[in-house]
Amino acid sequence: MENQTFYYDNKIVKNFAYATLFWGVVGMVVGLLLALQFIWPALTFGIPYTTFGRIRPIHTNAVIFAFVGNGMFTGIYYSLQRLCKARMFNDLLSKINFWGWQLIIVLAAVTFACGATTGKEYAELEWPIDILVAVIWLVFGANMIGTIIKRRVQHIYVAIWFYIATFVTITVLHVTNSLEIPVTLFKSYPIYAGVQDALVQWWYGHNAVAFFLTTPFLGLMYYYLPKAANRPIYSYRLSIVHFWALIFLYIWAGPHHLLYSALPGWAQSLGVVFSVMLIAPSWGGMVNGLLTLRGAWDRVREDPVLKFMVVAVTAYGMSTFEGPMMSTKTVNAISHFTDWTVGHAHIGALGWNGFLTFAVLYYLIPRMFQTQLFSKKMANAHFWIGTLGIIFYAVPLYWGAITQASMWKEFTAAGMLKYPNFLETVTQLRPMYAARAIGGGLYIVGIVIGIFNLILTVRAGKFVPEEAASAPALVKVTGSRESGEGLHRWLERRPVQFILFALVAVIIGGLIEIVPLYLVKTNIPTIASVKPYTPLELQGRDIYVREGCYTCHSQQVRPFRSETERYGEYAKAGEYVYDHPFQWGSKRNGPDLSREGVVSGRQYKPNSWHYNHMLNPQRLNEQSIMPVYKWLIADDLDISTTAKKIRVMQFLGVPYPEGYDKIANDDLLKQAQGIADDLKSQGIQVAPTKEIIAMIAYLQRLGKDVHAAGTPTATITGK
Amino acid sequence: MLRDMFTSMGGFEIYGMISMIVFVVFFGLLILHTYSIKKKDVEGFSNMPLDDSSKESDEIQDS
Repeated sequence: MENQTFYYDNKIVKNFAYATLFWGVVGMVVGLLLALQFIWPALTFGIPYTTFGRIRPIHTNAVIFAFVGNGMFTGIYYSLQRLCKARMFNDLLSKINFWGWQLIIVLAAVTFACGATTGKEYAELEWPIDILVAVIWLVFGANMIGTIIKRRVQHIYVAIWFYIATFVTITVLHVTNSLEIPVTLFKSYPIYAGVQDALVQWWYGHNAVAFFLTTPFLGLMYYYLPKAANRPIYSYRLSIVHFWALIFLYIWAGPHHLLYSALPGWAQSLGVVFSVMLIAPSWGGMVNGLLTLRGAWDRVREDPVLKFMVVAVTAYGMSTFEGPMMSTKTVNAISHFTDWTVGHAHIGALGWNGFLTFAVLYYLIPRMFQTQLFSKKMANAHFWIGTLGIIFYAVPLYWGAITQASMWKEFTAAGMLKYPNFLETVTQLRPMYAARAIGGGLYIVGIVIGIFNLILTVRAGKFVPEEAASAPALVKVTGSRESGEGLHRWLERRPVQFILFALVAVIIGGLIEIVPLYLVKTNIPTIASVKPYTPLELQGRDIYVREGCYTCHSQQVRPFRSETERYGEYAKAGEYVYDHPFQWGSKRNGPDLSREGVVSGRQYKPNSWHYNHMLNPQRLNEQSIMPVYKWLIADDLDISTTAKKIRVMQFLGVPYPEGYDKIANDDLLKQAQGIADDLKSQGIQVAPTKEIIAMIAYLQRLGKDVHAAGTPTATITGK
Repeated sequence: MLRDMFTSMGGFEIYGMISMIVFVVFFGLLILHTYSIKKKDVEGFSNMPLDDSSKESDEIQDS
């Protein structure tokens, strides 16, 4: 067969590589600012755009979707062409993928800073940007599948299976979790409420980790590790089992984010069991990666690319052992809502994703520029400073997490909470937060050295935008199985069938968990006293979502004595049925707020306290790390949206009376006047039309309905 | 009909049991299947990343 000459598109790889470096620095600098705000809350500068609640999504989205996302595209665009022995399917689609993705990142940063958010972690983008994400993702998928179809090799290598699973699953997850009804251009309500919303969100959230941060990087590992070590993958058989077991099991594990919550026990149990089972395929992949280096360990000492890869794969192994452990109820009771989760996430993000991304960049940039890495010493400095950064980041957080969880749970001999003031448990962590910031700073220093090294490498080389290659054309063979051809071997040369098999594998778990919860009424027992929010409370809730309060405050009391003593009645599914979106949170930098409005409760504060707290938290308590929210007092509440919001809620099944949208603002103003009058009686002059009034109304509503219901067992009216 | 069936059914715990059985059976068979792949084929597939047919990049090796 005659050889065909063709050209790999290196230009698109270079663009994604540069974007990776740029967004990596941006995302991590924002992360460092967040870390410093734990030590100096004044670093929000007293303006809305830099408060913790607004820039935390900028940090997480920038690191996950901008840094890691662009890194993933870099690695895929380079390796896919070479594994398929074909140029990318369509250059225009490549360009749309690149520029569209950068546009999404910029829009995300701007809208988050302005407070346009859905309030769902890692899925905060509002509906127009969600649609743009779907379009650009499909463009990427079409380009990838087109390339696979026009390949010049019969067999589809294991790395590409992982790329396929990434594309298929992220499509399903993004579309399912982003189903929302628009209210305005940058405001929507999710179609799911309360417990259902929580399950769908964490099914998405966990699998974003699985299929955006894990499977594409496993694909990269299966390509770049053998390339860098110049050795074949240790066990191809193991990679087959690794792939199918991983994608089948991962999708079930989402509910482990909701242990001890109001989620039905059967769904929690499924999440735990499948999370523990995940150790097997995860470690299978890690072992397959590390054993690929057998006989080549001497090269790890010399080659910075391999060094980064070894630590990356080891961090993957650590995370995928720690994750299942944190999913067991015993450990989760301690780790959840603490910095343990943050430490765990950063071992994965900085170690696995970050280091593998830099390994890939150190591998391919010299090759695309026909030169050698400018300085191995600088690469080694990057490696060691980055590794130290990870350790300095994670260890204090683990220490802090156990300290704080112990303080939350400690009782005196008389049976009272030893640390009833939540703030005591935060101030205790300040040294750990300082150490964490140093760790993050070190990691950034390492990146800066790495970027400088790569810039010098680029300057020393000559870029090859069109890299020549040659291979014989693909011989057409029958679509059906040939004699003696095993099922999987047949599947490995049939991309469409492979995609369908992968889709079935990932969709089973999702359907089994979500469909019954959505349809079966007994899963969500209603509580008669739980009523829809008043228009003022609804507006206040939207401000709560806008400011990202859920990033520091949970609304979910777990059924532990230490929590019911501190906050009040434990959480029940029926109390959240009108919550679009749910606001349970995942981390407590401040106390739980779900019983904040119970007048006889431990957490209750009068309206004037909330006003003064938002105006200047440090005036009420010098040690507080809460940012100021002065603009809530200065800004007018936008009541022009009230009627539309009520109508959308009615559409979603919230039982406001027919025609209520027309009179909702009357009720809103009446309730607002009552709060303004109360504040006036405390010597605080504020107009009833200010945002702070709506926020206070919402906070004072929290927990009231459940408290009114009395004992939970007597009031559940569902089947 | 499907909706009625779902809204009236109970005993979801069986879902987990069925899933476990499906998992064990499927992956047991998959492991057995992988050992039916010929050694020569496995070696060929394993070596795929090492041959990217590029005329230039292979010439660049680490110093």
